[in-house]
Amino acid sequence: MPVVSLQNLKKIYKLGDNDVHALRGVSLDVEAGEFVAIIGPSGSGKSTMMHILGCLDRPTEGKYLLNGVDVSGLSADDLAEIRNRQIGFVFQGFNLLARTSALENVEVPLLYSRPVIPPADRRARAGKALQAIGLGDRTDHHPNQLSGGQQQRVAIARALVNEPTLILADEPTGNLDSATSIEVMRILQELRARRNITIILITHEAEIAAYATRIVAVRDGVIISDTPNEPKSLLDDAPAAPMAAAARAASA
Amino acid sequence: MFNPLPALPMALAALLRNRNQAALAVIGVTIGVAALVTSMALGRGAQNALNDQLLAAGANVIVITSGNYRMDRGARPDPEATIGHAAFDAGALPTVVRPRLMLAAYSPGFPVGGNRFGGLLRQVHEEDDPMEMHDHPLAKERLGDMAAGLGSAATLTRDDARVLAEQVKGVKFVVSGVHENARVFVADSPEKRQWFTRLHGTEADLPQVRAGWVISRGRFLSPSDVDQSAQVMVLGRVVADRLFGEGVDPTGKTLTLWNQRFQVIGVVGSKSWAAQPVAGDDQFDAVYVPVTTVHRLLNLGKLNTVTVTTTSVGENAAVAKQIIDLLRERHGISEAEPDDFIVTSMAKQALGKGLPPELARAVGGNLERVEELTVEQLSGSLSRANQTMLVMLGSVAAVSLLVGGIGVTNLLLLSVTQRTREVGLRIALGARQSDIAAQFLLEAVLLSLIGGVLGIAIGVAASGGLESFFHWSATVSPLTALAAIAAALVLGIVAGVYPARRASELRPIEALRHE
Repeated sequence: MPVVSLQNLKKIYKLGDNDVHALRGVSLDVEAGEFVAIIGPSGSGKSTMMHILGCLDRPTEGKYLLNGVDVSGLSADDLAEIRNRQIGFVFQGFNLLARTSALENVEVPLLYSRPVIPPADRRARAGKALQAIGLGDRTDHHPNQLSGGQQQRVAIARALVNEPTLILADEPTGNLDSATSIEVMRILQELRARRNITIILITHEAEIAAYATRIVAVRDGVIISDTPNEPKSLLDDAPAAPMAAAARAASA
Repeated sequence: MFNPLPALPMALAALLRNRNQAALAVIGVTIGVAALVTSMALGRGAQNALNDQLLAAGANVIVITSGNYRMDRGARPDPEATIGHAAFDAGALPTVVRPRLMLAAYSPGFPVGGNRFGGLLRQVHEEDDPMEMHDHPLAKERLGDMAAGLGSAATLTRDDARVLAEQVKGVKFVVSGVHENARVFVADSPEKRQWFTRLHGTEADLPQVRAGWVISRGRFLSPSDVDQSAQVMVLGRVVADRLFGEGVDPTGKTLTLWNQRFQVIGVVGSKSWAAQPVAGDDQFDAVYVPVTTVHRLLNLGKLNTVTVTTTSVGENAAVAKQIIDLLRERHGISEAEPDDFIVTSMAKQALGKGLPPELARAVGGNLERVEELTVEQLSGSLSRANQTMLVMLGSVAAVSLLVGGIGVTNLLLLSVTQRTREVGLRIALGARQSDIAAQFLLEAVLLSLIGGVLGIAIGVAASGGLESFFHWSATVSPLTALAAIAAALVLGIVAGVYPARRASELRPIEALRHE
């Protein structure tokens, strides 16, 4: 069963008197453990796809099955729970809460989990997530005390904290220099390799897409190509090397 | 359910981000709640003050006086007439213990209201000055009841008082009284300092009856003083000042009365600034000794008065009736005979004081009903000026609460705009609409609760200030504080609903793109 199954998805926006066809019939299956890069220029409809994939928007037509469940018919609260439990978001602008420690930022999704998670458990889980991406020593830092790469890693920890099956990364390297971009891609590759998490990455840069296992090109609301890719691996040959140590080395 | 605890620091942080606007909104709520608390305190204070005044004025006091000088009219006393006179006698003290002429009953034609030392007494004492009569009794001249002016009409006994206390329902305190005029001397003073004053033989409970009293020095008579007929004396403030000078503590000093030595054990003064002790008044230009001591030294056995307090003003009439029935039975008075005592309820007299004339007339003209009124009903009719002020303060409270509420709403709308991205993010991370709404509602409630607590503090301070500077009575009850907190809470919720709704209905995609 594919994690994500889009079936002839269409999305039409009303913009004044004009209908804007953002998606004109997109079909796509993503299996568990795939690292898919959706690539396309701005206006191609890739962001609209991302929003629908993230259950932040509903398609005008077509079906979206997430882990076999058709989400188009679900209520707002059910969608909120799906976003909370099954999807981890990583944004271009990090979207961390200002004046809030890294640990508290990572805790945010847990605040909205049902049943309620006790505060001590929340802290423990958030701490573990930060540790896993090599920021165990930065838990009390506020976003303005962290570098761009560190901030994006906090955001990744936040996406991971509820152990989702799918990570949606929307231009995660858009605000980062190339060295830090590579570091973020390495973490995503590692997540896929170690935890078998499905990753869908949206980007307009071919170099970033090269780290994925499959590249889907979108233009004018339709998929124009869908090819498997031999990824540029950033992983150490020795899988035992702890990810955290490598991350510290990179950020030092 | 939304759990507010983890959201609390967030809400606080959000408020601190816009601290100027938050401060303004809080000030609005604070003023509103403070005005609310003050107006409620004044309203309650007026009620309490009225009750206190009624009690202090002795509205719950019933005085039973020996004898019944109206007897020769062949009718039972008309209590309304008695009270009607007293009610508009400006000089009347609330507790009338004015001597009544008891002998008249048994000597028809004797002038009513005449000098109590006339007639019979003149034959016993040859001194011309009636004031001197009791001052130097030799042992053999000590007066019997007849000669002491109590006469055969002195019908009340301490047993009567005891039985009243035991058997009449609604009675709180019962105090026996013998009342004389007397000259007291400072013992062992070369210049023979002396003062002619009222002498009250009384009991230990008298201060409970006199709600307006304060024991300014020492103590009042104790039950054991009364039991042992001790030669101790409590001075009224005027007597203490005249004999020993103002500000001097006379306790422990010795006075002589009827050539007997009495130790001063205390001084009584007035609690109220409105009733300052003056020479010639019956309460503070007076000395108090145990009733048993007067009985022993003057060889008396009867009482002039028995003073009773009721548990509430409204019960006066019923208690008075019980007293009359009980005493008639105890005194063996048949149906045909009139009472040999007079029962005077002080309620109407007390109520008559300080009323606007038209209201006083209404009270005077409707005497029978007055005692049926409750204190609450009275306060309703007496506090018209008060109400005007309350309406004013109430409007201030309403307007400031409204302004405070608008301030809270305004601040929250600003906050929603500033934090649109945050709201979008939270929705993306799994927050439900209700979570978002609850977060903003929490901020609104937090804001107005801060204002509410500050408002209560200021309201309490303002009430205290009004009380001490203007002598307005203001009482902040726990209920008032509770009501104020409730008002702040409701205000916060009402003010927060619209912004919270706006926030929760944000569309996450646009919210996330918001700069």
